[in-house]
Amino acid sequence: MRVNPNTSNDLLQALQRTEKEAETALLQVSSGHRVNKPSDDPTAAAVLVGNHARADQTDQYLRSITSIQGELRTADATLNSVVTTLQRAISLGVQGANGTLSDANRNSLADDLTGIQAQLVGIANLSFQGRFVFAGTNSKTTPFVLDATQPSGVRYDGNAGVNSVAVGEGFQLQVNVPGSQLFSDPGAPVFQAIQDLITSLQNNIGIDAAVTGVRAAFDHVTTQRVFYGNALNQLESQQTFLGSVKLQLATEEDKVGGTDLAAALSRLSDAENARTATLQAAGQIARVNLFDFLK
Amino acid sequence: MSSLVGIMAMAVRALLAEQGALDVTSNNISNLNTAGYSRQRPVLVQADPVIQGPLTFGNGVLLEKVESLRDPILELRIHAEEQQQSKLETLVTGMSQVEVMFSSSSGDIGDQLSKFFNSLQQLSADPTSIPLRHGVIMAAGNLTSAFQTVVHNIQQQRSNLDLNVTQSVRQVNSVTQQIAQLNVQIASMENVHQDASAFLDRRNVLIGQLSQLLDVSVIQSDEGITLTTSNGTALVAGSRSFQLLTQADPSGFQHIFAQGADVTASLVGGQLAGLIEMRDQRLPSTISDLDILAAGLATSFNTVHHGGYDLNGNGGGDFFVPPPAGVTGAASSFKVQVSDPALLAASSDQSPGSNGNLGLLLAIRNQAVAAGQSPTDYYANLVFKVGNEVATNSAAQDASGLILQQLENQRSSISGVSLDEEAGNLLRYQRAFEAAARVVSTISEVMDTAVNLGRY
Repeated sequence: MRVNPNTSNDLLQALQRTEKEAETALLQVSSGHRVNKPSDDPTAAAVLVGNHARADQTDQYLRSITSIQGELRTADATLNSVVTTLQRAISLGVQGANGTLSDANRNSLADDLTGIQAQLVGIANLSFQGRFVFAGTNSKTTPFVLDATQPSGVRYDGNAGVNSVAVGEGFQLQVNVPGSQLFSDPGAPVFQAIQDLITSLQNNIGIDAAVTGVRAAFDHVTTQRVFYGNALNQLESQQTFLGSVKLQLATEEDKVGGTDLAAALSRLSDAENARTATLQAAGQIARVNLFDFLK
Repeated sequence: MSSLVGIMAMAVRALLAEQGALDVTSNNISNLNTAGYSRQRPVLVQADPVIQGPLTFGNGVLLEKVESLRDPILELRIHAEEQQQSKLETLVTGMSQVEVMFSSSSGDIGDQLSKFFNSLQQLSADPTSIPLRHGVIMAAGNLTSAFQTVVHNIQQQRSNLDLNVTQSVRQVNSVTQQIAQLNVQIASMENVHQDASAFLDRRNVLIGQLSQLLDVSVIQSDEGITLTTSNGTALVAGSRSFQLLTQADPSGFQHIFAQGADVTASLVGGQLAGLIEMRDQRLPSTISDLDILAAGLATSFNTVHHGGYDLNGNGGGDFFVPPPAGVTGAASSFKVQVSDPALLAASSDQSPGSNGNLGLLLAIRNQAVAAGQSPTDYYANLVFKVGNEVATNSAAQDASGLILQQLENQRSSISGVSLDEEAGNLLRYQRAFEAAARVVSTISEVMDTAVNLGRY
């Protein structure tokens, strides 16, 4: 059988193949990615699209948590000062229930309480980054306004809406308690209780009952505060959880699309060796033919 | 018994025959690197014997002909594989350009999709914030321009392919014309029983070139060869070549006509088939995949957006420009409708601070909006499709390349010039020539002897 006398084509093809392998391996080593374009591994590329989307989403959940935390902390601290203020109101009421006080003394207590009422309205109108925190979802309008036509002396212009923010896959966290629920609960209305106490002090009737009313309001606000504490706790543990999700996604990404460095490096040196060997062989073959031996 | 003069003539014939053989060897060596050259071999035969009475004398050697060594069937297989190879090469090159746009990077559609949903998520923590509302509209704008950019690039690629189609058709026409001319020369030489090897080789190279451009079937006939495409469109019949024409269709793309018939869609091999498949099928199919996603996103966003309320408490309008009916063109016309951040319908209860509708908009992330899939899943599938097309075609191209290499090795083992072989032949013919020359001089001496007989 006659053999193919022209080996250069084979040699060139072989060189091209090893060169391509070396190039691929080099790219994998230098980029750290096994999948640099979809055709490197179409299935892995599709998996990575989903993986990136989830990683981005997780980062966003973490950013959302940070921005919610600020608002929740401020609201929590504010309710704390509501509680302190109500405590002062109670002690003023208890003082006023003492039968030895003169009318003038009780009236001055009532004046103090009027001041407290105004102070409470100020606190309840807390705004965070331009939004009223206790206005329900009507957060662009000052929620509590002093209004003599109201029985409680305070008008609520907010609504009963609540917002929820997603802080995880399928995890919607309620982020506000509407002012109506906090300050105008029918069982323990804060402003009404203070107003009742003021009236009873001025008229010296039913002061004890009015103080009980303020106590109920105090208990109510304290109970409501638990919501914020709870939400903050939940966010903290969610932060930890999302951190581990990110870690897991990164691990998965590396497993699906990362370079196996050892394998890639050994492929690189294999390809380089093959190339050197091919070049050496080419040099040997091309060197002589029969003409060199004829005279 | 032959005469001395006869012997002399025989030796001279041998000299001529060996000289002819040396000529062939020299030609082989000269064409060592000539593309398409088939090595030649001198065919030496015994001359007709001389019969004298009961005796038969050999009458020396004749150089009967010079033959080329080639395997026509193998050539056909090589041409067929070349058609396959160059079609695949065109497809791989084309799809690789598309693939770049679907490689995961900051700025690809998948990334912009995430960023858009993230901007909505960010807004839901502070729904009245104007900067964050701006952020949503900007992210939506980036998403729509990512779609537009990809579609624009693909359309650009289609126009480039269209130019290539025209150029390839021009090349086809020039090659078929040359083949027809060669057919004339080959026929006229073969009619007078001359060796047309050199022209045959050249024609073969041209058929190879033609095979890279489109699918060619070769039919051998009395008046040379007939070339047709695989569906029977005549390209060359003997001395005549048939020109292909290009003409733009209403959408501006060139169609190929052969003798009045549109053969654009019937080409199956070669670069032209690859170009046309990319231009008319693969690229449009990628665009229409993007159309489905863009239309799905726009429609579902608009529907939810209509159900919400903007910062002024008014019902939401269209968030994206509504996609064209029938979806086609949705990706290239994908645009954000809302420009005033206050008009973003985030609220579900008419109060400005509500984020209820944002929650519903965000839920679209996991809803089936395009072909029964969520936006990210659909996009991931698209990435798979594009990547898989490149991967499959380049695997086929590699395989076809190996086959072609094998076939070319086979061809070379039959038709290729081997320097070792030629060196051996050169030596052989040289020795034979020298020997024949020696015979001439010996016979000359013998004739001298005969002429001088009886002088002494």
